[in-house]
Parts: sequence; C-alpha cells; structure tokens
Amino acid sequence: MRTRLFKKLLLLLLIFSTLHSFGQEELEKELADNKPVHEKVAATFKDIKLVNGHTNETIHQNELEFKVDHRFGDIAGGNGGIRQFFGLDHATDVRIGFEYGLSDRLSIGLARAKGATDVQQLYEGNIKYRLLEQTTDDYIPVAVTLFGSNTIAAVRASDDPAAATAYRRFSDRMNYVSQVILARKFNSNFSFSLTPSYLHRNFTAFRDQNDLFALGFGGRAKISKRMAIVVDYFIPFRNQADKAYLEQVNGVKFYNPLDVGLEIETGGHVFHLNFTNAQAIEEMQYISQTTSSWLKGQYRWGFTIARRFSFNKKQKI
Amino acid sequence: MKKALYLLLFICSFTFPSRAQYILSSKNATVSFFSGTVMEDIEGKSNTASSVIDPKTRNIIFKVSNTSFQFQKKLMQEHFNEDYMESDRYPFSKFSGRITDELDFNKDGNYNLTVEGTLQIHGVTKPWSCRVAMIISNGVVTAKSVFKIKIEDYQIKIPSLVFKNIAEYVEVRLSAVYQPTKTITK
Repeated sequence: MRTRLFKKLLLLLLIFSTLHSFGQEELEKELADNKPVHEKVAATFKDIKLVNGHTNETIHQNELEFKVDHRFGDIAGGNGGIRQFFGLDHATDVRIGFEYGLSDRLSIGLARAKGATDVQQLYEGNIKYRLLEQTTDDYIPVAVTLFGSNTIAAVRASDDPAAATAYRRFSDRMNYVSQVILARKFNSNFSFSLTPSYLHRNFTAFRDQNDLFALGFGGRAKISKRMAIVVDYFIPFRNQADKAYLEQVNGVKFYNPLDVGLEIETGGHVFHLNFTNAQAIEEMQYISQTTSSWLKGQYRWGFTIARRFSFNKKQKI
Repeated sequence: MKKALYLLLFICSFTFPSRAQYILSSKNATVSFFSGTVMEDIEGKSNTASSVIDPKTRNIIFKVSNTSFQFQKKLMQEHFNEDYMESDRYPFSKFSGRITDELDFNKDGNYNLTVEGTLQIHGVTKPWSCRVAMIISNGVVTAKSVFKIKIEDYQIKIPSLVFKNIAEYVEVRLSAVYQPTKTITK
C-alpha cells in the first residue's frame, strides 16, 4: 500500500521534472539586463545658475538659453522702505544673456550687464565645460564643471587716478573669472555644490585686490515637483589690511553675498524669485564688491527668467 | 513493464531538460511613444528594452528602463525623467502577462494574438490587454504591437502651469525579435 503510493508520487514527480516551465518571477530573471554600466546623473540643477552662482549644468547641444536677470534696490534700510517703494524704484543691476550649447559638454555665452558699482556697461563672454559627470552608481561621485569668463567694462574712464575706472589702456577694462564647480546630486530632492573661484581684475580702485580667491557654496532643495529653494553663498578671501583701508576710505563695508531664491520650472521656462544682499549679477562684481548687508535691511528682490530654445533639426530618432 | 516506464521517465528527466527549458529572449527590443498636440510633438524611443517569452506557458515579460528613452530635445528627456516618470523612484516600465491564444512556436506563420496581463508604469500597476502581431520563422519570433495609454491612468500629472503641449493619450509602439535561448535555470 505504502509502496504503491510512493511509486505514484515518484511517477508524478518524474513527469513534472521533465515538463519544467517558468513562473513569472523566474521568467523575469531571464530578462537581459541592458542598463548602462555607469549611467550619468541628470538634472543635478535645473538651470545653469542658482541665483548668482553657477551650477555644474551646461546647455545641451544646439540649445539656446535666453536669460534676463534683474535686481531691484534695497527693500529696507536707509535706501529702502515705502519712499522707494521697497526698492522697486531702482534697478541696481540688469543682465541680459544668451548661452548656447556647442556640445552637450561645452557651452558658450554672451551677456550685457549694467554693472552695480562704478564699473559699468559690462560685456561678458564665457565658456563652460563639463569635465566630469556624476554617475548613478557613484563610479564618479561628483560632477566637475569648469567655468571661465571675461568681462569688459565699457564705461567712460575716470580722471581720478584712485578710482576703479581710471583706465588708461583697453586691457585695464578686462576682468577674468575662473571657477571649478563641484556638484553632487544627493537624491532627487537635494543637490549641493562647492565652487572654488579665482577672480583677476586687470585694474581696480587704489589698494583693491587685483587677484581674489573665493569659495562658493550652493544648494537646491525641492519643495514640490516644480518648485525648489535655491541658495548660494560666497566667501571672498580678502587681504585684511587692504580691506580695512578700502572700508575706511570709501566708508563702506564688504559683506559676503548670500542669495536665496524660489525656483519655478514650467517646462522650457525657469523663473526665479530671489532675495539677495548682492547688488551685482556679474561674478567679478558680486563676489568682490558686495557692500550691502542683510542685517541692515539692504537686501533686494530680484528675478530671473530663463527660456530654452532648441535648434535640433527634426530628425528621425 | 512498469519498471521500464519509471526508468524511461527517470532518464528523460535528465536528458531532456535542456530541450524542455528553452525560452524566447529579446535583448534589444524597441519601445517608442508619441504624443502629438498643436503645440508640440513629443517623441521618445528606447532600443534597449528586453523581453522574454516562455513558449510552454506563453508567459511574457517586457521591460524597459525609463532613462533609456532618447528624445530629440534633451530638455524634454530631462523633463520626462525628472517631472513625469520620476525615473529615480520608478526606474522601469514593465508588462507581464500571457498570450491568451493557443500557439505553436515551432510552426512558422503569421499570427494575430491577444496578450493579457498587467502594465506597470510610474509605479502604478493596471490590468492590460492588447493585440500583438507575431511572425514565426525558423524558431525566431518577431512581435509588434501598437496601443494607446491614457497617462492620467498612471498618475502622471501634468501641472496646470504647463501649457497644453502634452496629449492626454500617448501612442506606444513595441517591437521585438526573440531568439530561442537555452537557459540554465532549473
């Protein structure tokens, strides 16, 4: 009796073992794994800039970004308040720029800015190159982008030899900025960047520094799918003696620029509503010449509108 | 007599498993989708989808990595992954189901079949069925399918801020060439 049952079971077992088939889960294991080995992290930041500071992002190939930046006057403090309509009567700086992607890694830009200090009528040419891109598997943990710009001041030269605009040669009007932007997307909601910067101004006010190193910090935190808080902050490393002299002579103090903004992305457009103590928009000015303080009410609101255009020809993909 | 039968089955269980365990596998299947409106046409295509069919049970799985879709405009690709598919949370889109019609994969011919199962997109799994055209020739299976999906069904939200440049329905095209593959899985 027992052996018969055993034999029947054996028969059943043997029949099944010859007729092996796959369950859904087993079948899924047979799927080819086509995931690229080191997939690149996309969209560490939404735009090429946070508020004033550059991000690691560049413009994609054959795409053009048109960007308008505007900074108003002080909201509060001596130059703000209701008389100046909280700064809206003034424009401390305005910048209109175009950036174009020569390749997915390399972009170039041209811009015109008003300029916030005596150094005005600025023309900027820049180049930005993605050296390394972060990968999802952390094979490359941080993205590295290089930025370089030359800003030319077209303002009429001053007769005062101590002034920042006492230009004698054309080359005096040149200002160079180079930055190494290190960025990491920690998760889909948070990205952080570190920006060692070097400024060289061919001509400055008496005892101002021609060469200036600075360290920038930037961050972006999403608050909803299409809105994010962006922050950037720069610490310029000044020579203390020169700083004290300039502050005494000009009766101003230097502050570190701190910018906070709300970023709204609508697909094609990126809008920023910013609050910043920096009057200027150009790197060579807001890093070196920020003389207004958040604590004195000398912050302003500003906005940025960026629009992308694609020139990729209709091609069969 | 009985002993002989056992013996035969016992031998079969060792000698024929390789024949019994073959699957149809497609490594470079393509998926493309198209959304057309007056404002803008959006088109994405992936050549690295993968699919398998178990010829015995007619079970089928089709899977594609969302980040593998290529777009003509790179900004679209970024928006597709970041804003709509949320590819870092939901990296794959997947169909798993079964060919409901009887079918002999050893017989050459053209077949029009129905596939039933579940479609998973953007973390949402829904019952799904569609028509598939299959051509079998010398064991190689070519399959094609076209269908429409309503993006709202998969909780892919289009914010009111975005102008009407994304269609309510998206047309999806799949095509795959399956090669018979032996497998070591027991």
